[in-house]
Amino acid sequence: MTADDDVVIDVSGLATRFGTQTVHQDLDLQVRRGELVALIGGSGTGKSVLLREILGLQRPSAGSIRLLGTDMWNADAPALAATRKRFGMMFQEGALFSSLTVAANVATPLLEHTDTPPEFLPRLVNLRLSLAGLSPEVGGKMPAQLSGGMKKRAAIARALALEPEVLFLDEPTSGLDPITARAFDQLLAFLNSDLGLTVLVVTHDLDTLLSIARRIVVLGQGKVLADGTAEQVMQVDDPWIQSYFASRRAAPDASATATRSIADGT
Amino acid sequence: MLHLGGSWRLPHLRALDGELAALREPLQEALAGPTGLVIDGSALQDIDTAAALLLLGALQEALADTRALSLQGFDERHARIVEVVRGRLADTAAGPAPRLMNMVAHFGQAFVGLGSLLHGHVEFLGRVLFALWRLALNPRTLRVHELFAQLGQVGVNAVPVVALVTFLIGVVMAYMLGIQAEKYGANIFVVDGVALGMTREFSPLIVATIMAGRSGAAFTAQLGTMKLTEETDAIRTLGLDPMQVLVLPRVLALAITLPLLVFVGNLAGIVGAMGMSSATLDITPQTFIERLHVALAPRHYVIGLAKAPVFALFIAVIGCRMGMSVSRDTRSIGINTTSTVVQGIVAVILLDAIFAVIFQELGL
Repeated sequence: MTADDDVVIDVSGLATRFGTQTVHQDLDLQVRRGELVALIGGSGTGKSVLLREILGLQRPSAGSIRLLGTDMWNADAPALAATRKRFGMMFQEGALFSSLTVAANVATPLLEHTDTPPEFLPRLVNLRLSLAGLSPEVGGKMPAQLSGGMKKRAAIARALALEPEVLFLDEPTSGLDPITARAFDQLLAFLNSDLGLTVLVVTHDLDTLLSIARRIVVLGQGKVLADGTAEQVMQVDDPWIQSYFASRRAAPDASATATRSIADGT
Repeated sequence: MLHLGGSWRLPHLRALDGELAALREPLQEALAGPTGLVIDGSALQDIDTAAALLLLGALQEALADTRALSLQGFDERHARIVEVVRGRLADTAAGPAPRLMNMVAHFGQAFVGLGSLLHGHVEFLGRVLFALWRLALNPRTLRVHELFAQLGQVGVNAVPVVALVTFLIGVVMAYMLGIQAEKYGANIFVVDGVALGMTREFSPLIVATIMAGRSGAAFTAQLGTMKLTEETDAIRTLGLDPMQVLVLPRVLALAITLPLLVFVGNLAGIVGAMGMSSATLDITPQTFIERLHVALAPRHYVIGLAKAPVFALFIAVIGCRMGMSVSRDTRSIGINTTSTVVQGIVAVILLDAIFAVIFQELGL
């Protein structure tokens, strides 16, 4: 495996402008295979826009984006379609198909893109639900019957359907209670370490950052303001970063414990 | 000993499934043997969770206790994936297949559903009438602002489409009647036909149908979205009554504007017929209007206008009720909106038939 092959997401010289408003300017970002990266930044710094551009949903004004070796904005349709089967995305509110049961939601990509034997399909769907932390009974429910946290888990199960190499998540813990949110962090850590998925997560949740993200990327003023472990990022002299982490220092105990556990590498 | 090799991945599931099925008997023999089954993964290029599940599922089916299997020669990453799947094997057991309903059950369910729908409508109608009565006792609770907003949307904005459609109906009626009447030299009676038919039947029916599609659907979509975004709940927690704030202004707006729109429809239809008559039947507008005075008894006109508020009440009640009964998902807004239009049109035609019988019996 060459070094180049190891880079899963490669954003270079990215610029995004909406009319006169500049969101990104000369933004570079690389993510390697097996990393768990958290993307943070104040509102309006273009975190979600960057995610949409990487996924090929929104065209950047300039620059190149390579995802799994495919140039997302210059590749031909077959190459793009092949790449789309190799990553999964969890949208903020789940974006489950509301007319289908949860099981049918998870089965949709399998039915569309694979030749899975029909009698094996229910088991595979149940495995996906189980990997996302849901019991098989949930499969029979409609998305509207699920709580916010379960919707997000079901969305992860659907994103995992095709054995993706990369998993993108937009605000996975927003709107969840702290206990559910921590369980979610553990789920992401498990997917990253045990299944070897590369994970890019857009989040605001300091606990997520401090407990599972081994690399934090801070967006601001149109580019990457800081990039590194939590401790490295905290050292960066930027008013937004300082006030962001200061909001946590107000509660010294929790922060100390969390920081220590990072330092210990646990 | 089972040797795995090659790429055990999702795209190859069907081929792998076939191979495992072919190995079923030797596997069973090996499992029954004294040493049990050892799986060797040293030649494995890749394995993902789907393929691991396929393998373990097949072994489980062949009566092996998957906990007693031993792995050998697996790459660390591959072993981890197999272990993850092995730990979750019990969770993946497929539940009983959902029972398919037969035709009788479908029919019964649809019938019961219709019953509860009508029951809900009657209850909602009762609540609207009660709210109207309370409003009559205390007129100051009327939401004037919302009422005028609705009058604008439901009434004024609907004038062009109502006028256009009824104008065209008038043209067509005069033309079709004219072809028949000309044969008998009875051109002038086209005026009788159009005036009577338009004011008493066609204009109310057509305008009400348009409004069932236009405003009924809008009510359902508006209230349904408000329900979904919890706006109606917010109204309740602020100590207000959604019935008073949302439903009554819509019901009143439609009840006020529908007769007015029917009037617009009458005018447009007669103008259309007048134009057509002077163009093809040699009836000048002046003759047309003179004949109109003779042919059109006021009661026909009044009956047509009198039906309109009743149509309006039903259209608005159906539209609002279907909006308020939207459940928590976006899909049900679409379903309810479709249902509103269908119910509204059926209700209008049914009511019109009932009116026809009543007026016939009364000799009007």
